[in-house]
Amino acid sequence: MAALSDVEPQSRPLPPRTMLQRLYRDNERFIIGGAALGAMLLIWELSARTGLVDPLLISSPIAVARAGYTLLSEGEIWRDLEVSATEFLVGYGLAAAIGIPLGVATGRCRRASYLIGPFIDALNAVPRLTLLPLIVIWFGIGIWSKVVVVFLGAVIPIAISTHSGVKTNEARFLNVARSFGASEFKILSSIILPGTVPFIFSGLKYGSGRALLGVVAGELYAATAGIGFMIGNAGNNLRADILFFGVLLFTVAGLVSVAVLDRFERRFETWRPKVGSAA
Amino acid sequence: MSEQSRMYLGPARSSEARERAILGTLVVVLFLVFWEGLERGWWSELLRPFVGASADRWAVKPIFISSPTRVATTAYRMFFVTGEIWPDLKASAMEYGLAMLLAIAIGVPLGLAAGWHRRLSYAIAPFLTALNATPQIALLPIIIVWLGTSLVSKVLIVFLLAVLPIAMNAEAAVRTTDPRLIRLASSFGASEWQRFRSIIVPSAVPFLLAGLRLAIGRGMIGIVVGEIYGSAAGVGAMINQAGSRFQTDKVFVGILAIVIAGSILAEITRQIERRVEVWRPPV
Repeated sequence: MAALSDVEPQSRPLPPRTMLQRLYRDNERFIIGGAALGAMLLIWELSARTGLVDPLLISSPIAVARAGYTLLSEGEIWRDLEVSATEFLVGYGLAAAIGIPLGVATGRCRRASYLIGPFIDALNAVPRLTLLPLIVIWFGIGIWSKVVVVFLGAVIPIAISTHSGVKTNEARFLNVARSFGASEFKILSSIILPGTVPFIFSGLKYGSGRALLGVVAGELYAATAGIGFMIGNAGNNLRADILFFGVLLFTVAGLVSVAVLDRFERRFETWRPKVGSAA
Repeated sequence: MSEQSRMYLGPARSSEARERAILGTLVVVLFLVFWEGLERGWWSELLRPFVGASADRWAVKPIFISSPTRVATTAYRMFFVTGEIWPDLKASAMEYGLAMLLAIAIGVPLGLAAGWHRRLSYAIAPFLTALNATPQIALLPIIIVWLGTSLVSKVLIVFLLAVLPIAMNAEAAVRTTDPRLIRLASSFGASEWQRFRSIIVPSAVPFLLAGLRLAIGRGMIGIVVGEIYGSAAGVGAMINQAGSRFQTDKVFVGILAIVIAGSILAEITRQIERRVEVWRPPV
C-alpha cells in the first residue's frame, strides 16, 4: 500500500523517463531495503576493522560468515541443530496435536470450556518461561525439559485461537445441519473444521514463534546441546562470531516456519469451499 | 495474546454464568486439593491398601512440587514478615519501567515516521522483519557480554522485545488512516505537520494502545528470561536462585508475583483503552 504522503499531488513521482528509472521505481522497495541492509553490514564491518569498536565484542559480518562456514563444514554444529530441531518439532507437534482438539472441544462444549478455562487463562497470564526453573527440576536438563517448554509456549495460543475460531462459526450452518439430522461428527468435519482453518493457522503461526522462543530460552537456561546452548557457550567464551551465526540460524528458522505455514494455509484455502462468504 | 485472555471467561447469560462459576471454582479447588494431597501423601495412603508399595508414586517430595499451603505461607512470609521480595520487585519494576518508556519513546516516533514516509519504511523493513522472526532472547548472551548483568542489560532486552510491536502498530496506524481525511486537509491548505498532528495522531491512538498491550506481554517475557539468565537482583533472579536451591515454594511465589503484576498492567491498559474509546468520536 502506498504511503499517505503520496496521496497529495505535488509529491507524486514523475512518470519514469528511462528504463533505469522505471526499473528503480518498480523495485524501489527492494533497492532501498537492500541498500539499508548493505549499509548496516558495511558499517559493522568497518567499525570492527578500524578498531572503532573492539571486534571481540561485535565480531564482523565476514567473521560471522567464516565462523558459519567452519561450523557447518566441520560438522560439529549438526548435532546441535539436530537436538534443537527435535525439541522444536516434538514440542510443537505435541502442542498442535493437543491444542487444536482442545480448542475444538472447549469451543463446542460449554462445560468443557468452564472446566479447562481457568487453567488456560492462568497459563496465558504468565510468561510460561517463568516455569523454566521448575520444569528443569521436574524433567532434568535433557531434551525433555525443552520439549515441555516449547509445548507450553505453543499450546496456549493454538488452543485459544482454535477455540475462538469454533466459537465464531456461522450459527445458520449449524442450525441447517442439525435440522437435517447431521451427526456431531458430520458437523465437526464438514462445518466446524473447515470454518476454523484460518483461526487454527493464525494460532499455529503465533505458536511457532513461541516455540522457537522456548527452544532458545530453554537451551540458554539449562542444556547440554542445541543451538541455544551453542549461543550461550559462545557468549561465555567471547566468540561473538559463533554467537551471531547462531542467532542468524534462529532468524532463518523463524522465517522458514512462517513461510511453510503460509504455504500450507494457502493450500487449505484453495481446497476449502467458501464457507464464510456465503451471505 | 492478551487481547484473547478473556476468551474463556468472557461475559455470558446469568444461568450460564452461575454454572461457569460453580464448575470453574470446583475444578480449581479440586486441583489445589489434589496438589496438596500429592505433597502430604494423602493419595498414597489412600491407595496403599489396594495397590501396595507402588502407591508411593502418589507421594511427591515437597522439593519437587511444594504445595498450596506451603506456597501461601511462604508468600505471606516473603511479603509481610521478612519483606525480602520487595527489593527484587523494585529492581524488576525499575528495569521494566525504564525499558517500556524507552520503547515507547523510540517505537512510536519511528513507526509513525515509517508510516508517513514510504522510503523510510522500505529502509527499515528488512531489520524489522528479521528482528521479528528472531526470538530476540537469543541475543541475551551477547547483551550480557556488552553490558554485564546490571540493570542496563535487562533494560535493553526488554526494550528489544517491546519496541517491535509498538513500532509496527504505529506504522500500521498511519497506513490505515482514512486517505480522504488527509486529502481534505491538504485541499484546505493544511501543512504536512498540521495534517500529521490533527489527523494521523488522533486516529492512531487505538492502534498504539493495541501495540502497547502486546508490548506489555512481550516485555514480561524479556524481564523474566533476562533475570533468570543473568542477574543479581529482580524477581526472575529470585526465581532462579530458589530453583537451583530446590526451594520450590519460593519459585511459586515468584511466579505468583509476576502473574499479579501482569494482570495489573493488563487492567491498566484496558482502563486507558476504555477512556480513549469514550473520548474518540465514532468513525
